[in-house]
Amino acid sequence: MQTAFGWAQDIEPAPPLPTSKPAPQRGQLPPSVEAALWRGDELGAPVVATLSSGWRELDAELPGGGWGCHAVTEVLSPQDSVLEWRLLAPVLRPIVAAGQQIVIVGPPKRPHLPGIVQAGIEQRHLVWIDVDTPADRLWATEQLIKGASTGALLSWLPHVRAEQIRRLQVAAHACAGPVFLLRPENARHEASAAPLRALATLDINWALRVQILKRRGPVHDSQIVLPSIPAGIESVLTPRLRRPSDIVVRREAPHALGSATPAARRRRFASVS
Amino acid sequence: MLWAALRLPLGADASPPSPDALRGVAIWALQFTPRVAVLDESVVAEVEASVRLFGGKRALRDRIFSESKELGVIALAWATNSLASLALARHGIENGFKKPLDQLLDGLPFEVLTAAVPHQPTLARLGCTTLGDVRRLPRGGMARRFDKHLLAALDQAYGMRPEVHEWITVPETFYSRLELMSRVELAPALLFGARRLLLQLCGWLAARHAGTTNFTLRWAHDSMRAKHVEGYGQLMIRTAQPMRDLEHLCRLLAENLAKVKLEAPVGELELRVDEVEPMEEISASLLPDTVQEGEALGLVLERLAARFGPERVLRPVACEDHRLEWMTHWQPAAEPQPRKAARLVDTPQPTWCYAQPLKLHTRGDMPFYQGPLLLLTGPHRIEGGWWDRIKEDDEEETRNVQRDYWLAVSEHAGVLWIYQERLGGNDAAWFLQGVFA
Repeated sequence: MQTAFGWAQDIEPAPPLPTSKPAPQRGQLPPSVEAALWRGDELGAPVVATLSSGWRELDAELPGGGWGCHAVTEVLSPQDSVLEWRLLAPVLRPIVAAGQQIVIVGPPKRPHLPGIVQAGIEQRHLVWIDVDTPADRLWATEQLIKGASTGALLSWLPHVRAEQIRRLQVAAHACAGPVFLLRPENARHEASAAPLRALATLDINWALRVQILKRRGPVHDSQIVLPSIPAGIESVLTPRLRRPSDIVVRREAPHALGSATPAARRRRFASVS
Repeated sequence: MLWAALRLPLGADASPPSPDALRGVAIWALQFTPRVAVLDESVVAEVEASVRLFGGKRALRDRIFSESKELGVIALAWATNSLASLALARHGIENGFKKPLDQLLDGLPFEVLTAAVPHQPTLARLGCTTLGDVRRLPRGGMARRFDKHLLAALDQAYGMRPEVHEWITVPETFYSRLELMSRVELAPALLFGARRLLLQLCGWLAARHAGTTNFTLRWAHDSMRAKHVEGYGQLMIRTAQPMRDLEHLCRLLAENLAKVKLEAPVGELELRVDEVEPMEEISASLLPDTVQEGEALGLVLERLAARFGPERVLRPVACEDHRLEWMTHWQPAAEPQPRKAARLVDTPQPTWCYAQPLKLHTRGDMPFYQGPLLLLTGPHRIEGGWWDRIKEDDEEETRNVQRDYWLAVSEHAGVLWIYQERLGGNDAAWFLQGVFA
């Protein structure tokens, strides 16, 4: 049957039939099938609900277009308390605006309210759980996740084991808000049950560099550069100060350091500011 | 009446199952009904009144079937009385309702009735093989020739005479042990046996309307162990709240067992409950619950405060102060907030601050913190505070400050809020006080 068909084609190539629909080409499927199909190079879409991260570049790389709810998200950084509010304030602001609470568990430094308010989080919507030991942090985090009525939860867990993260992740299925676990960078080599892990580093030129270490979807191996100026500072930055790296390079030139007299120092400050 | 008979396997040379095993199954069955009794090698339970609570006959049967299988029950049968259900279970028929009971029982060999077993030779010589044959014998003759138990049992099984049972009561404390089928050498493999004990525990907790917060799994090491190894090992599990969810407890136990290294092969397991608390059931709802299932945040904070102390669960209150340390007052979350919020400074402020300003090293006269700091803008002068007096060790002290704040940036440490103390005279020191994170 097949040979006969091939032979017929050889003799007389069938003229293209005038159809109203374009014939489905190879690799092209009807839209209904296409919608249900997941390809290996696409971002996974099983995330139930997400909240926009505040940067379009980052949203494009996050599954579901934002930080996920009903799951824990790990944010790793080389040093603690240098970029948390810069990275997370954009997602927390709408939560606060909706009247929900932000709970922070065990930050390594004291939160300073005026700065946090400038980042867009009102004082009535902030709760600080001042705990220190790993067991206490973990217990408090779990209780808050299970409480599930939290708007958002930020928990600093420097020492936590993979099975404890798994436990939190299981509990977070029922939690409506986003749960961020802030961990040191060296945790990137440990296995983790969190469906989303991001590594955030500082860029001196008023930016954050985010690399997504784990997500539902293809591997992400580049860095996303997110422009970010700490709240309140924008107004005092002169155009020159918008690229501190240039100033640093100039500073590192010989004779730039080590001038002893206060007068010289003051001159240098003046030149910078 | 709806009777279930749960038959346990006989031991080697047809010895009856151990009382421990029977008791375990009976305790587990108490969660379904208070009317549970032990009959020979099986546990019988009357569940008519509980059918609706457990979602109908089909759902109840499925649940009892799957859970009892895990407990080691080999046959399950249903009938209108306990003797009939046991007889059916012994013969391997599950459903005693598909035909009238008389017809079903008449076809069974008479050995399924315990009371008939002692008279087996006589009955066999009379030509009887089935219960139907025995029942057709003249009653007067039977009463004279055999003991009264046979006739009574026959009548009870056919539902002609009421049954009397000695009900199992819910014990005050829970303790259960299990001999493992084979020696176990890896801790995670204990979970299989432990699950059986946990299943009994959950049944017991359900019967008592309680949840456990603390239970202990003990295992006995094999007698062939090394000399230095103790006879027992144990693992205590605590839960944050009263719990009787089997899956949850199993998960807890599995996580903990994964960390245990057995010192010798284990032959026996024991489960004991140390703390029990009453637990409130969540009532089932007619409508699907779309509202958040979680408790209010306030309740969680209360629990956290109960554990850590109220001074660890804090909410901020802004204070009108120009000095960074005293701009925020952190008060226990339960205390009421002031009605009128204080005004906050509108100059740039860090988001994290150090409890104690960190004195910085200097090189030349430049502050260093994880490498050289680049001072961006400043100075931002903060001065005053002589009116703020505190008493410390009978000595009055004013919290006066004279500081020049600078916005500094470092490649690794981010954007910092540092100041130079001006009270120090000539050796003006640099301090790090905040981070713009």
